[in-house]
This record gives sequence, C-alpha cells and structure tokens, in this order.
Amino acid sequence: MLEARGLALALPDRAAKPWFGAAPLRPILNGIDMTVGAGESLGIVGESGSGKTTLGRCLLRLYKPTGGRLVFDGTDITDMEEPELRPLRARMQMIFQDPQASLNPRRRIAQIVAQPLLAFGLAADRQAALSAAHGLLERVGLNGGYGRRYPHELSGGQRQRVGIARAIAVKPALVVADEIVSGLDVSTQAQILALLAELKRDLGIALVLISHDLSVVRVVCDRVMVMQQGSVVETGPCAALFAAPSHPYTRTLLEAIPLPEIDPAWIEDEPSADVGSAEGRARAMDIEGSVAFVTGCNRGIGREMVAALATAGAAKIYASARHVEGLADLAAAHGGRVETLALDVTDHGGVAAAAQKCGDVTLLINNAGVNANRPLIGGDMAEQRREIETNYLGTLAMCGAFAPVLGRNGGGAIVNMLTILSRVNLPALGSYSASKAATFSLTQGVRAQLAGQGTLVVGVMPGAVDTEMSAHLPQPKLPPMEVAEAALAAVRQGIESIYVGEMAQGVAAGLAANATEVEKQFAEYLPQ
Amino acid sequence: MRAVLDIDDLHLRIGRMPVLRGVDLTVEAGQVHGLVGESGAGKTMVGRAVLGILPSAARITDGHVTFAGIDLINLPAASRRGLLGRRMSMIPQDPMTALNPVYRIGRQLTDVLRHSLGLGRQAARQRALELLEQVRIAEPGRVLRQYPHELSGGMRQRVLIASAFACGPEFIIADEPTTALDVTVQREILRLIRKLQQDKGTAILFVTHDLGVVAKICDRVSVIHSGRIVESGTASQLFAVPQHPYTKALFAATPRYDRPGNRLVPVPRQLTLRLLEDAAAYDQRRRMLRHA
Repeated sequence: MLEARGLALALPDRAAKPWFGAAPLRPILNGIDMTVGAGESLGIVGESGSGKTTLGRCLLRLYKPTGGRLVFDGTDITDMEEPELRPLRARMQMIFQDPQASLNPRRRIAQIVAQPLLAFGLAADRQAALSAAHGLLERVGLNGGYGRRYPHELSGGQRQRVGIARAIAVKPALVVADEIVSGLDVSTQAQILALLAELKRDLGIALVLISHDLSVVRVVCDRVMVMQQGSVVETGPCAALFAAPSHPYTRTLLEAIPLPEIDPAWIEDEPSADVGSAEGRARAMDIEGSVAFVTGCNRGIGREMVAALATAGAAKIYASARHVEGLADLAAAHGGRVETLALDVTDHGGVAAAAQKCGDVTLLINNAGVNANRPLIGGDMAEQRREIETNYLGTLAMCGAFAPVLGRNGGGAIVNMLTILSRVNLPALGSYSASKAATFSLTQGVRAQLAGQGTLVVGVMPGAVDTEMSAHLPQPKLPPMEVAEAALAAVRQGIESIYVGEMAQGVAAGLAANATEVEKQFAEYLPQ
Repeated sequence: MRAVLDIDDLHLRIGRMPVLRGVDLTVEAGQVHGLVGESGAGKTMVGRAVLGILPSAARITDGHVTFAGIDLINLPAASRRGLLGRRMSMIPQDPMTALNPVYRIGRQLTDVLRHSLGLGRQAARQRALELLEQVRIAEPGRVLRQYPHELSGGMRQRVLIASAFACGPEFIIADEPTTALDVTVQREILRLIRKLQQDKGTAILFVTHDLGVVAKICDRVSVIHSGRIVESGTASQLFAVPQHPYTKALFAATPRYDRPGNRLVPVPRQLTLRLLEDAAAYDQRRRMLRHA
C-alpha cells in the first residue's frame, strides 16, 4: 500500500543561519525504510525530536522528501507535483494532534466535515455533502445537534472525533493519526481508541499511528516502528517486539514507562543498568551465519521457523520431519540452504544418526510435538504415551544427541518450543499440558547442565497458535510466524524464557502474582 | 505520623459553579501524597487553594486548610506570602511558562534565595550553584548564565525543582510536574524528586492524572472526582485492591503495553452521572442543614 525506501528529509536550520546567505540544511530523517500494508496498522513511536511527526507528514507528501523513494499504491509519489498529487490526496488523510488548531473556528462542525467531500467532488452538492457529514458525525458518536455547533463548543475528545470524521469522509485507504490521544483523559482516550479500532475493522483503513505512548501503540497496532533521531532503530510485529525488544533504546523506552503497579525499584534503579539482560547478552547469538536444525517442519510453527531462519540469514537449515515429502517446497523455496531430513524424534537411533550426520549445527530448534487434545483421566493411554515420547523424550533425546555437537561448535543455542500450558494445566488438554510441563522442567535442567559449555537454552511459551494442532481452539490465535520470529529474537538477545502473545504474557504475569488464582481460572475450562 | 497539611471539608466555587465539594485530605510529614483525577475533577484547584493563588472568580465557601497548625484560609495575605517559598513551595506543570523568559536562570534562582533567605548577592550565587548540582545539572555555572529557552524541557524542570527545594520547605505541591516530558526524562525527574524528598524529609502533594506515575512515586493516594475525594489510602493498598467503582474504572481505561489483551473500557457514563448527582445531592443537603 505505502512503501518508503531510504526516505530522507533535510530542512533549513534557521538557528544556524549565517547573517548572509541561506540557512544550512539539517537532516531530520535519515534513510527510512518502511511499508504499510492495506488494512494494516503501524505504530510509529519515539521521543520528541525523533522525527516521527515529520515522517508522518512526509508519508502523506505534506513535505517533499529530499532523498529516497515513496510509493503509494503502486505510484511513485516522491517527486510528484501538487496537481498530480491532488487526486491521490483523497485516498490518504491525516488526523492532527491538536484538534483545536486543525478545525476552522469560524465554521460549524458539519461544514468542516462536509468540506473535503466538496473539495474532492465526492458529493453532488452542498446539501448532499452536509447530510453526508451528519451521517459521518453519527458514525463517530456525535449524534444530534453537534453538526450545528462550533469547534470551541466541543470538548477535546469530541473535537478529536470531528477530526476522525473529517478524515474518513473521503473513504481513504490510508490514515496517518499524529498523537491523537495525547492530552486527553484516560477515559476519553479509551473511547477514541475504541472508535479507531472499530473504524479500522469496519472500513479496512490502513492506519499509521504516531505516538509517544507505547502502551497506546501496543493496544491499537499490529506492527511497531521505533524511531530515534530521525532513524528507525527497530521494527517488527507488536507481539514479538514488546516481548523481546532487541535494541537497547527500545528497552530503555519500555522500562521508562510507569506501569500502574507498585514497584519501588523503578524509581531507585539507575536507568538501563540492567545486569540481568547484559549477562544474558553474553550468550546471545546471531542467527545470521548460523547452522540450524529444526524438527517437525512439515507444518505449523516448524514450517514458518524454516522460512524465518532463511530470512534472518541462517547459513544452512536442516529441516526435519517424519514425512519428508511435505518439505520439498521448503527446500525449493530457499535454494541450497535448506536440506531436508526424515527424522522421527521418538526413534533414538535415528536421532543419534542425525547428530552424527549434521556435525555443523549451532542452533537446535526442538519443535516437533503432538497433542492428543484429551483430558488426563479417561484419555487413551496409547495417545498419552505418544505425547510423552514425542514432547518429552523426543526433546530429551535431541538435546542429548546434539549437546556435544553444539559444544564443539562454540556453545550455540537450543530452542525448545513449549506452550504457556507448560506452566499451568488446562484440564481440557490435560495430558498435553502435563507432557509440556515435563519438557519445561527438562529445559531448566538442560540449561543448567549446558551452561558450562556456553549453550543458550531458550524456552518459548506461546499462547494458542493458529496451526492444525490448535484448530479446535477459539480465536484469537497467534500467527505461527510471530512465534517463530519471537523465538529467534530471544536467541539473538540471549533471553532464556519468552512468553509470546497477549494471552501467554497475561498468564505469566498472573502466575507470578497469584498462581492459585490462575489455576482456578484454568480449571473452568473443563473437558466437554 | 504528624500531618503537615490538613484539608477539611473544603468547598470552592468559581462564579456560581461548585468546583470543590467537601475535599478531605491529609498530607503527612515526609510523605508523597498523590492526588489523582481527570481534567475538571478539581485537583489543580486543591493545590491552588492551599497556596492561595486562586483565580479571581474563585471563592472558598466552606472548610478549613491547616498547614503546620496555621489556618491558611483566614491568614492575612502578607503572612501567607511569608510562608510561600520558605516553608511551602511549588513545582509547576509547564516549566516554560513558570520561568521568566527575559531573565537568566541565575537571576531567577538568586532572587528566590535573596528574598526568602535574605542572602547577599555572592552567597545567593554560591547557594544557587549548589542547588543546581543537587539536581544533577552538569555545568551549573554555565546554566546560571543561560536563558530558559536555551534549556531543554527536562533541564528547565530541574531548575524549577532546585528552586522549589531552595529554602528547605516542609511541604511542596507538585502539579503534573512531568506531564510535558518524554518518558525517559520523566523517569529521571521523578527519581530526582523522590531522592530530594527522601533526603530532606519533605512532604509533597503530587497532583497528576497518571496512575502509573502515582504508583511509582506516592506513599498515599487520594482519587478525586467532581470535587470530592472518592477513595483514599496507602498506594500499595489502592493499587492492590481499588475499592471505589471510579478508581476501578480509571484502571480499566488505562492502556498497558504489558497487557494488550485487556479491553480498554472508558469510564461508564452512568457512573460519571451518578457521581455528579451524588456530589450535587451532598451539596444540597449541606445547604439545607446550614439554613435549618
């Protein structure tokens, strides 16, 4: 939908202007690369002076970039002149930070909202435009007589609603919203955010939300981009980035947010003196150039993991599965880097042979797992045995066989794909939860045993993931790619336990606060 | 605990409109007391009533404000001025408007010291340098020669904190002192305020709309709505088990990056209306009682 490559902007620095001659140019944006997909919502966060507002205006060509390219809907708009841009303007709209300043004080609300319809010729006449405006005002929750009022007669939240109505009046494909909730009370803010989410869902608008408030971005956006001094420091899906921010600046920003809970250390610690993560980083490992071995690749997270590893620049990926036929397309898609391998992790001879054969592995990803979808009591014993053999003994065999390989190759890392159910039993999936709990314990033990040889052992605890295995679970479910990316982010930063997705993070926080209460809540999901 | 500030049933009107409708609030020595509420709840007016800097249309219609045993409401203006700066001071919200743009920082700081403590020119300058060091300004000598516009928002706020603590007051009102700052700067400023407050044993009434900030810096909290305190307690108690429906509603409306799954619920309209009605009914009952 919108793509920027190396977008740069320099503006004259009036403060440094010599007495005679032009003011020198000061770079505001340095080579921004970004994309916004149709219907997607991207959050741009950063502190004041990071260039986020300037970028927002650049994206809509309110400023003309001084470098790079900007493509909107297949059209290069980088150097377009205003007359050519004009027809496109209706498809990209902006909601401004200060509704008081962006609404004409001498016009009635309905006229303000009708204005773009008339300007772009989207309404037959004044009457039609005004009645459309009343409809739009109702759409944003301003019923009744608001259309006849003037901006100063409205509250801040109501004025912001008018700004939204004006932006959606022309049915845009892209809306840039610049700090539209800063300065509003939390209650009003919650209303505006709910309205935004509703419009985004109903109208399929792509949204760029510029905000200094990471909590707001986390609630509204799919992806987030962190800016500092005119450059992008980090970008990624919200779930993965917030679970494991890789850039120190992002971490500093997150730590600086005062969450509404008591934490005496927050105000006493010196900022970013984070010993724990520094220690972790010592074992952190680059994915680029690594040689990975992934089990259970023919579906779900395993498949996406191979793709994520390839994108992240792994030198070689051994993709293994019981049925190797399903892997042909993976091998084809990623050229010579993916080598497929038939392997059943419950066949310990086969596991040993694989370790023998793949002596160059530096990153082991234990992903293979099965789920009988049964409660503990009354379940089929054979199925339960298969769960333990695959989920627990299979992982153990793999760790055991590959530990010496990893040791020889400088330590490396092991990633065990667990589940949030490894931390608390969900009775409906009782036997699966129990087998994964064993594997969680295994992860802890192996981590301790392999610490000496410098192997990082990561446990990945996602919530429900959108795979065949969890087909019967209700939405919302995590896209498997997000889980794969979060797991790799954890390896890159040396994080030992990572909870992926809202549900898993919520449960983890709950367990830390009151494990018994969480257990009680899970107990309500009894098998039918 | 000794109470530094005691507000008892404070009623205040601006014109005919009731703004405070019986505020009860006690700030104890050496504690940070958070006063949290949304815009229009009256939280800023509480602070201004204490300092005696109310807008001209505002009138205190009832109640008592006692500071260290002194009745502030019936205190002559001259005596009140004697307290300001020396025994109680303020950290304002907007550091740009609080500093005079045409005077250097040095002049603005030494004026306070010379006036309040009766220091000489040289002694005041020396003390100003010490104060700037205390608020961790790296080159105090240079900053003294600068004008407010030459400083960043965080630096300006440091200067104002230095000035608020200048005369070693027993009590400070901090009115949204970090609202205009970036989160990283906010953390540093909060840390600074907390440290100075603990070192000097100063009591602070910390006015804010941000529950997060309250959780981090306050010992006690009062939640204000439509001119009345709806809930008050220790911070640990209020954040663990909020009691009043309005406090709970505030929590439900606050977005948290660590709990994105929580649905944000605006404060329900019925609740707001009910609280307003309660407050109005309370007003009415008081008036009837007085006339009876």
